[in-house]
Amino acid sequence: MAATPVTDSTFKAEVIESQVPVLVDFWAPWCGPCRMVAPVVDEISQQYEGQVKVVKINTDENPGVASQYGIRSIPTLMLFKGGQRVDMVVGAVPKTTLANTLEKYI
Amino acid sequence: MTSAKAEPSQANKSLEAMKSFSETYAKRTDTYFCVDPSVTAVVIEGLARHKDELGSPLCPCRHYEDKEAEVKAAYWNCPCVPMRERKECHCMLFLTPDNDFAGEQQDIEMEEILKVRESLQGS
Repeated sequence: MAATPVTDSTFKAEVIESQVPVLVDFWAPWCGPCRMVAPVVDEISQQYEGQVKVVKINTDENPGVASQYGIRSIPTLMLFKGGQRVDMVVGAVPKTTLANTLEKYI
Repeated sequence: MTSAKAEPSQANKSLEAMKSFSETYAKRTDTYFCVDPSVTAVVIEGLARHKDELGSPLCPCRHYEDKEAEVKAAYWNCPCVPMRERKECHCMLFLTPDNDFAGEQQDIEMEEILKVRESLQGS
């Protein structure tokens, strides 16, 4: 299962109110490293299916959430648990880095 | 029906300009494009779009509260300050040879850029 797109209007229901931890991929269409990290995020989504929900948000189209969480560098991968931001990884990181971050919270 | 193949549009001129800038700057700084040319292509396209929209090639790998203000601040206008000072390009356009993702190219075909543009139409 690939990462599901969320928007400014669905973010609260999909991320903040989620019963399981949520990995959010903040991306933009003209960002090179976002292209590198997208397949990694999709793999994580498959590997942790049922344990972690994986979503992506286009920061160009959804500046509200991006601003609220102080997103600067893209891609930024943010982990939410119980409605709170608990961790963050910036840039195109290898799958192991992302998996190690997730493991701390599941 | 009007043909889509009219004279080169402003958008294509900016694309050509950013392609040319990227190639020249890579050679001047001894940096290389990404092994995945689609990464290079989207960044060049992103820079060209910002040049058209804002007058300056603001980095497409950042989120800004106010793009016009950022252009004036100039910090993230390509080549950005971290690139000029420390050869740090988090957009992965200019990679130092020791970077795992650095390829061997300092040139990119226009075809490659247009291919990526087409694949992103409507996305």
